[in-house]
Amino acid sequence: MIHSLVWVFWLLMVMVFILSTRNPIYLGTLLTSLFILGHHLSHTKKIKNWMLPNLRFLLTMIFLSTVINSLFSHVGQEVVFTVPQQWPLIGGKITLEGLVYGALNGLVIGALYILFNIINLALNVKQITRMIPRAFHPIAMSITIALTFFPSIQKRAQEIKEAQMIRGNPMKKISDWLPIFIPLLVTSLENAFLLAESMTARGFHKQTDLRTPKNLISLILGGFAFFSGWVLQLYRYPRAISLVLYAFGAGLILLTLYIAGKSSQVTRYHQERWKPADMIMAFLIALCLFGFIYLKWAHRLHSLNYSPYPHLICPTIQVMGLFFSLLPLIPILGRQHDKN
Amino acid sequence: MIKIKNLSYRYPLGTKNVLDHVSLEIQKGTLTLVTGASGTGKSTLLRCINGLVPHFSGGTISGEIQVFGADPIAAGVEAMAQTVGFVFQEPEAQFIFDTVEDEIAFSLENAGIPREEMERRIQDALQIVKLSHLRTKNIAEISGGEQQKVAIASALVTQPMVLLLDEPTSQLDPISADEMLKFILDLKIRLNLTVLISEHRLERLLPYVDFILNMCADRTVIFGTPQEVLPFMEQVPPIVEIAKHFGISPLPLTPVDFPKEDFVQARLNLKKKQLPTVSTQPICLSIEGLSTRLNDHWILKDISLQMARGEILVLIGPNGGGKTTLLRSVLKMIPCSGRVELNGINAENLRFSEIIQEIAYLPQNPNDLLFAASVIDELKITLTNHKQGFEKLDFKDFLKPFGLDKLGDHYPRDLSVGERQRTALAAVTIHNPSIIFLDEPTRGMDYHAKKRLGTLFQQWRQQGKAILLITHDVEFAAILADRVIILEEGQIIFSGAPQIAFTEFPAYQTQTARIFPETGWVTSGDVIPEI
Amino acid sequence: MKLNRLLRLGIDLLVVILGMLSLALPFIFSQAGDPNNQAASFPIMISLIILISLLIAIFEAQSSLLDSKIIAFLAVLAAINAGLRFLENAIPGPGGFSPIFFLIILSGYYFGSRIGFLIGVLTLLISAIITGGIGPWLPGQMITAGWVGQSAVLITFLVNKFAWRGKPIEVILLSAFGAFWGMLFGVIMNLWFWPFLGAGMGQTFTHAVGASENFQRYIAYYLATSLFWDISRAVGNILIISLMTKPVLKIFQRFKQRFSFQIQEETG
Repeated sequence: MIHSLVWVFWLLMVMVFILSTRNPIYLGTLLTSLFILGHHLSHTKKIKNWMLPNLRFLLTMIFLSTVINSLFSHVGQEVVFTVPQQWPLIGGKITLEGLVYGALNGLVIGALYILFNIINLALNVKQITRMIPRAFHPIAMSITIALTFFPSIQKRAQEIKEAQMIRGNPMKKISDWLPIFIPLLVTSLENAFLLAESMTARGFHKQTDLRTPKNLISLILGGFAFFSGWVLQLYRYPRAISLVLYAFGAGLILLTLYIAGKSSQVTRYHQERWKPADMIMAFLIALCLFGFIYLKWAHRLHSLNYSPYPHLICPTIQVMGLFFSLLPLIPILGRQHDKN
Repeated sequence: MIKIKNLSYRYPLGTKNVLDHVSLEIQKGTLTLVTGASGTGKSTLLRCINGLVPHFSGGTISGEIQVFGADPIAAGVEAMAQTVGFVFQEPEAQFIFDTVEDEIAFSLENAGIPREEMERRIQDALQIVKLSHLRTKNIAEISGGEQQKVAIASALVTQPMVLLLDEPTSQLDPISADEMLKFILDLKIRLNLTVLISEHRLERLLPYVDFILNMCADRTVIFGTPQEVLPFMEQVPPIVEIAKHFGISPLPLTPVDFPKEDFVQARLNLKKKQLPTVSTQPICLSIEGLSTRLNDHWILKDISLQMARGEILVLIGPNGGGKTTLLRSVLKMIPCSGRVELNGINAENLRFSEIIQEIAYLPQNPNDLLFAASVIDELKITLTNHKQGFEKLDFKDFLKPFGLDKLGDHYPRDLSVGERQRTALAAVTIHNPSIIFLDEPTRGMDYHAKKRLGTLFQQWRQQGKAILLITHDVEFAAILADRVIILEEGQIIFSGAPQIAFTEFPAYQTQTARIFPETGWVTSGDVIPEI
Repeated sequence: MKLNRLLRLGIDLLVVILGMLSLALPFIFSQAGDPNNQAASFPIMISLIILISLLIAIFEAQSSLLDSKIIAFLAVLAAINAGLRFLENAIPGPGGFSPIFFLIILSGYYFGSRIGFLIGVLTLLISAIITGGIGPWLPGQMITAGWVGQSAVLITFLVNKFAWRGKPIEVILLSAFGAFWGMLFGVIMNLWFWPFLGAGMGQTFTHAVGASENFQRYIAYYLATSLFWDISRAVGNILIISLMTKPVLKIFQRFKQRFSFQIQEETG
């Protein structure tokens, strides 16, 4: 098992890479590594049929994006064919550049989708709920209870449905919902009462209200700073300003949540342990991420930028770029290490 | 030591006190059985000891409680969690986490115990309940008995002095229930716990309890040793009932203690009871060679049985033996092989609507059925479902045998547990089916509710309805059954008269049968005909 | 206290404004520079900002979630609602019909905006965790579902003001509200998903094209892809809310009593 925080770092690194490139070769290499990793994970988790639906999704995405972009955007020189001008909105030239650009978009979106799909595959429900910060303890409790309670709902709904069918309910109209839903709601809410009682009997404290003016004001400030950073970036203000605002906003929010979370007296039974392999991986990922950002900042990775406009050209390749697009495979190394 | 002085309590919106000037003292390391009919405040009293009442439930409280020096009214539930462990009725409904160890860790997390110590304590708690091998298992996948042990472990993990158990065996079949009670007794001795347990099944616990706390309908309580309290109790196990009738003292608490020889010689002419004659009524349901499998696993194997009109057929057997599955197979809710005939017609040729016209079904949880705004509306809905008119029907008249004639306009959810169950029963039988299936109707019912059900069943029998009853309650079954079928591991291992079923199979023996073997007597009514 | 109310209002405003702005950005974006470079990061940045707003809003709403009863109550309600998403196929209804809204609306209407908001948010979160659907699209879905519950409190104001509780108009109002959100939810979801489709960004939004034309394009995209489903969802909401309101509110009323008891000490 790889530490869930390592997975989060990994997600961050791969996402940064996906979002910084439009080079089809890099994107292709990256997608291949993602598919290899996904296949590997689904194999060890004994999930059948992971590859095919994702591949199908990727192809659909590329297709849709290509069609939509080329229909709506008529910029470019290589005209493939022309849609009559009088057709509303989509009338105009369909250009090769438009098609390529659309396909690139599809690749990016598909890669993002598959990236998150792998995260869902890698982390189990428990690891996800445990990542909820302590400042959200009541919410985390609600989520835990809901997830524990969830399987019984379907079972119960089935039992109720059967009982009502034997009572003569034909289950055909929308109003036949009522005899299933109402008993389900009532028995479940009664169960909620028992759950609350069982929590209280085992020493669940009344939670402290963390909503102090100080906390709220710093959260609002943090959110606003982050947002301003983005808007400024969109309108091409110097990047340094945006970076400062991002750091300030995110830092303020995290700090507030951290301090608020410290007020909780509850201890946690489950703590994932950092194994040497996890630390090595985290270090590797951090190294790669910073290296990548530095290279990009210093304009040393010009091959990342690729655009079919104004002329359709062949994408260029750099060794470093290829190296980065293979990085999603890092977790496989960690898992290999686990086995030995 | 637990000291209660002049404790009174009223629920919010309640008009009367549930507890009224209760006073008692319980010594350290003793076992107290809390008993009484539904609504007499058994679980309320238990909840006072750990502070759930009034801190969780609200309401009005007065009087004093001292639990090993702590005052739950002043200290609140969180503080009491270290001194008092609480185990609830339905373990499966109260789990917060999905794995065993997380569930047990919960009280430790709340108490802010450091992680390293948690590890050790959880290990200890699991060892105490002998479940170390299930530590990382999913709770939904272990048996009901094991679930209850997990609940006990989560109560014991804070190392309390007092353990309160609110009907801990109500969801278990008799064999697991017996095991569970033995296990609790063993725990009490090993850990020198002070245990309070509320329980319907007196007969199993009586030999082991130090004190009985009997809560009466008139809000008085009787507290003392079994010999002190039993003579004043209205509802007692058959063995005590018989002994009381014949004035035997001290009261025997187990069949072994019963002074058999003198008693039998002096007072009774021990006559073997005649086996009842086989019913001559026409057969209404006939099942032949019915088998069901699920995931390559036989749930029912080659079941054949017949039911006649005016017959009460009781189906007993351990949980997971296939009892409910049999009912569901006959009702075509699950695919099965074999032949089912309904009033002489092969069920394969019948539509689903025609089958349910003849067969009514009361599920284990009658709450599954109720959703309408009033009792009468529930009845109307069933009739509409079956495309029957209800203009000429007198609902009040129909509801009378159910004891609901005055409650026709009430919202079913506001009724008591027993009334709700009878509402569900009325709702599934209003269209006048000839066969009635009931799945564990006595679960969680007190003596009065059971008696009412029994009377209702007998009325149906007289009307010529056939009743198929699944139950774990052998004493209840012994009173009503015309015929008994024992179903174990998907196969019928016995089918025949109750006089044989309840005497010859040790797991299903009634108390009377244990006292008077070889007489064919199974109920206290057989011994004392006037009851 | 006054400060707290002010801050709460501030947070609600911030969340709504940020949300709306991120929604509208595809239209304003054409005036912004460097679209090429940011086309791909655009949906992720929106998600991040929505995520932050969501965290702040949850942090605020959590203050009504302090006691074990309400925590369990919310958990169970959200779990049922998430379960309904899986029952969609099991129970008959018109196509595109989604049964998750009525419970969110009714709980917001009956228990207030915070609970309504949390039910909406948790429903989507829990079903995403169960189905493995966590991704950048999730914060947008969560916050919109939260808004559905939060805004139901408007109906509460109306009904209280004119003393309509228990009258037929209560059900009519709620059904109309359900229909409104049935449509609006689709519109908002599309806006948030649009950039993900890749259609919203890049050359589709060239410098030459103004906000109004972008808007027209969105309309075309919307009409083509989801109008039918949204109408059917709205109709489904009307049906199910008019059917469920009375019995569900009755149940809520019973449980509200049970869940909010106070202790009284009595002397003597």
